[in-house]
Amino acid sequence: MKIGLGIFAVALIALPYVGLPAFYESFSYLLLSAIVLATSWNILSGYSGYFSFGHGAFFGVGVYTTAGLAGKLDWPFLWTLPLAALAAAVLGVALGAVVFRVRALRGELFALLTLAITFVLATIALNTVDGGPGIQFMVDTPKLTPTASGFLYLLMLATAALTLWIAYAIYHSRFGTGLLAIHDDEDVAEVMGVPTYRFKLAAFAVSCALAGLAGGIHAVFVSYVTVAETFSIALAVNVVLMAALGGTRHWLGPAVGAVAITVLLYAFTSGQAAVLGRAMTGLILIIVIVAMPEGILGQILKRFRKNEVVRKPPVESARPAMKAKSGTILEVRGASKAFKGVQALAGVDLEVRGGEILGLVGPNGSGKSTLINVVSGHYAADGGSIRFESVELTGMPAHRIARAGIARTYQIPRPFPQLTVLQNIALPPMFGQVVMDRAAAEREAWRWLEFTGLEAKAHRLPADLNLHERKFLELARALASRPKLIFLDEVLSGLTPTEMDGALRLIRQIREQGATIVFVEHVMRAVMELTDRVVVLTYGKAIAAGLPRDVMRDPQVVDAYLGTAHA
Amino acid sequence: MLEVRNFSVSYGAAPAISGVNLAVAAGMLAVVVGPNGAGKSTLINAIGGLHRPDGGALSIHGKSLMGTPAHRYCDYGIALVPEGRRLFTGLTVLENLELGSYRREARGKRAETLEQVCTLFPVLKERLAAVAGTLSGGQQQMVAIGRALMARPKLLLLDEPSLGLAPVIVVELFRAIRRINAAGVAVLLVEQNVAAALELAHRAYVLEEGRIVAQGRPATLLSQPHIRKAYLGH
Amino acid sequence: MGSAGSEDRLTVPSATLLGQSVLSGVFIGALYGLLGLGLSLSWGMLRQVNLTHFALAFLGGYLTFQLAAVAKVDPFVSLAITVPAFFALGMALHWFFMRFKVTLLNTLLVTFGLTSIIEAGIQWYWTADFQRMETSYAHVRWKVGPLYLSLPDVITLGLAVSLCVGMWAVLRYTDLGKAIRATTEDAPIAAAFGVNEKMLGYLVSGLAGAFAAVAGVCLALDHTLAPVQIYAWMGVVFAAVMMGGLGRPLGPLVAGIVIGVSEALTMAVTAPTWAPLVSFSLLIAILLFRPSKF
Repeated sequence: MKIGLGIFAVALIALPYVGLPAFYESFSYLLLSAIVLATSWNILSGYSGYFSFGHGAFFGVGVYTTAGLAGKLDWPFLWTLPLAALAAAVLGVALGAVVFRVRALRGELFALLTLAITFVLATIALNTVDGGPGIQFMVDTPKLTPTASGFLYLLMLATAALTLWIAYAIYHSRFGTGLLAIHDDEDVAEVMGVPTYRFKLAAFAVSCALAGLAGGIHAVFVSYVTVAETFSIALAVNVVLMAALGGTRHWLGPAVGAVAITVLLYAFTSGQAAVLGRAMTGLILIIVIVAMPEGILGQILKRFRKNEVVRKPPVESARPAMKAKSGTILEVRGASKAFKGVQALAGVDLEVRGGEILGLVGPNGSGKSTLINVVSGHYAADGGSIRFESVELTGMPAHRIARAGIARTYQIPRPFPQLTVLQNIALPPMFGQVVMDRAAAEREAWRWLEFTGLEAKAHRLPADLNLHERKFLELARALASRPKLIFLDEVLSGLTPTEMDGALRLIRQIREQGATIVFVEHVMRAVMELTDRVVVLTYGKAIAAGLPRDVMRDPQVVDAYLGTAHA
Repeated sequence: MLEVRNFSVSYGAAPAISGVNLAVAAGMLAVVVGPNGAGKSTLINAIGGLHRPDGGALSIHGKSLMGTPAHRYCDYGIALVPEGRRLFTGLTVLENLELGSYRREARGKRAETLEQVCTLFPVLKERLAAVAGTLSGGQQQMVAIGRALMARPKLLLLDEPSLGLAPVIVVELFRAIRRINAAGVAVLLVEQNVAAALELAHRAYVLEEGRIVAQGRPATLLSQPHIRKAYLGH
Repeated sequence: MGSAGSEDRLTVPSATLLGQSVLSGVFIGALYGLLGLGLSLSWGMLRQVNLTHFALAFLGGYLTFQLAAVAKVDPFVSLAITVPAFFALGMALHWFFMRFKVTLLNTLLVTFGLTSIIEAGIQWYWTADFQRMETSYAHVRWKVGPLYLSLPDVITLGLAVSLCVGMWAVLRYTDLGKAIRATTEDAPIAAAFGVNEKMLGYLVSGLAGAFAAVAGVCLALDHTLAPVQIYAWMGVVFAAVMMGGLGRPLGPLVAGIVIGVSEALTMAVTAPTWAPLVSFSLLIAILLFRPSKF
């Protein structure tokens, strides 16, 4: 395998020296350029799901940086290339810094915004650097190859190799897993500890830099640069098409798509056929979106995944148990939160003591889930203070709250749908209190897979699990980062009595390991059996706290649950 | 009038309710109580057409509703007041009410029904032009009930109308429900506020973990330890 | 027409030029609004970003041109053919999206593919050359004070205003319109009260197709047709729709006119090549500062 790759690499490098007709050199160059553009686009858009229609803009920035510096100011063109990459990256970061902060700007709005940027940059380039007629320039390439285009081919080959290597490295790193998690469920990723803003910005910067680099090289290749050709919508959409066709979830997918599309487009080179070629491209795009949502490579990999044997990584030596401090570890004072006129939390006061299992109960709509959401950072509190081990949590971004050692499950399980069970559980350890790399995180995840009995489903997707298993996945994922404080939000609802007993056993074991648990539940039997203390919430306020027996007999509580009879 | 036999509904892969038998006679006020997670909402949503049932029989006046598309349920004389109100918040109060009478038979009598609703809930009369989303919780609940009444139903389904409302508003609401029932509309009410619900009802059903575990006259049920155990654990 | 705006000098235009610019901005803006009407409805109500709207409008324009050139059919009479045909096409597209459960983002991609196909079809039949429909309408002009008005412009404005206002009135005052608005907000509850979501979906998508046909006639009346032009309109109409509000019939018309007038004024004051900056900067500003509108 390695020898084959080596021979392939040598053949690629030797291409300009073999004396092929110019057409093949140009075609190979364009093929490589397509690979660079599609793969670099994918680093942000494919991995994280933020579909950009503005890749043409950053490519254009690169083109015009080189055209302006080398064409108009006679700089040596090789020096302009890093600047082209830098200019594109800086622009990307500037745009991302503003856009990624705005929660509502996802999905199609981000796509349209990036499209608008392309038009804006095109207009600016047209009126400033370009001036209208385009830029024409001739550049001396180093005499390393028989033809100038041969040298540019080698440059693009190097760029393609760089781009593929970067995409591969990111894919297999913590960074990549974080991006994939953002793609699946950004809010949950943030709560699990992924620094979403920073990661999106970094991915965008890398993606734009590579596009800018390709642009700089391209300026020299065409030697006559116009705004209309450079900032065209065609490029933006072709890039999306290539990545979608090959498979956006894999680092190599876009390259596969790029090869397929470029070959197709060049099979139709003559005039009439060019029109047909565009129609074919459109048709392929539709078929791919509808029939192969995962792309060619994605579809192939899916088939392999079904047969994947469960492999258990080498066992680690036992890690120290999660230690619980004694005394109050969480103090909530006057927490309030309102949604569109409904006061979900109206000044909640409660304490959680280290090592206890605290039951949080109350009628429907009393604010239990909202409280969990506010403490874990899913929502920002309107007022009040929440102190965890003397650190004020209000105002802290959710991923830092996760780092501090707080974890939670979701009442309706929210696993990352396109990550395997193992990957789901391995995510919090990568971003939790102790930052682990991917391999170590997966070893840690195995421990929790075994704890919850899910080993057989390690490489399956969450959709293949039934409700009971999905709830345990939620549990395992929450535990995997070894939190000091864990909130369980109605883990028992929907379970059969036998499954419930199993869950209760698990929860007791978790406490034995030293964790502090806040247990929101409606199943009274469980609350009575399991909890050390109980807090009752109604209408967004805590009305009673104490031993389960005592609290549930408190007349105020009885009132809240059974209601007072009115004539 | 409403006959539910061996009814089962699942939520995703898991069965939420199974083997439920329930009947509401014309003009009757029946109540379904039970702890959270028991399946009360799923049951009433399935009867109201919001949720597809898996199996069993559901019929009104002998006509089966199984397999009927969702938008035809109201033609059988059912109207739903869903959990959390679910008003069309961007539309005005009047438009919400008008939509309640969208079905052909109700449309003709719209003006008359509107009068009746405004008599029942006088506060709505002044707020007809207000955008529904700007009303308070209690007022929104009145609009939701009013919207259902505009359909001129024979059976009114209410899912936890007291949810999130202050006790004094709940009193008013239940008074209105009693008046509606007195006017001849059968009512099936799902409630968490057990005491108030049992006060109103002619007949009560207790739902636990997806099954009916007790039924009968409210007075009889209240005296049984069953309900206290289900809600308070003792 | 006034001074040739050089790239780096701002010129101060005369009052007449300003007035004519504002007027032409209003007319072009009306066409933006008309094009935006169908787009806004399908995006806001059906949650589909329908790029084929533009291709269909142009196809409608080309068909109108063809019928006028070959069969001497009056452009407005050709509406009798194009409107029902495009109504059907709109419904067919909706069926396709429902059948394959296409998500919102993917509708963008799929319709882009369809646009390519339609554009290629147009180019294959009518070539890439610019075509201009010749009708008697184009020659009718009026002088109002120092300003000129042409009949096609006035017709476009009239059609845009009447369709947008008409749609607004339907949504506001009729039972059907209220049902559409209710379904957009909460389809299952609307169904519980008898509203048939599926049928309304087909109705709205058919209407969007019909509106494209009308926009096509307006395009053919006063603009040169070329396949590549399909993309030129996309950006600015999207800007108008997003500024005017998704699912609203009047908003895009107002926004379109605002954009049209600001573009025209920009062109009068500086070089025409700066004009696109206006609409897109406005769009970006709206997206950044008022994203809650969506």
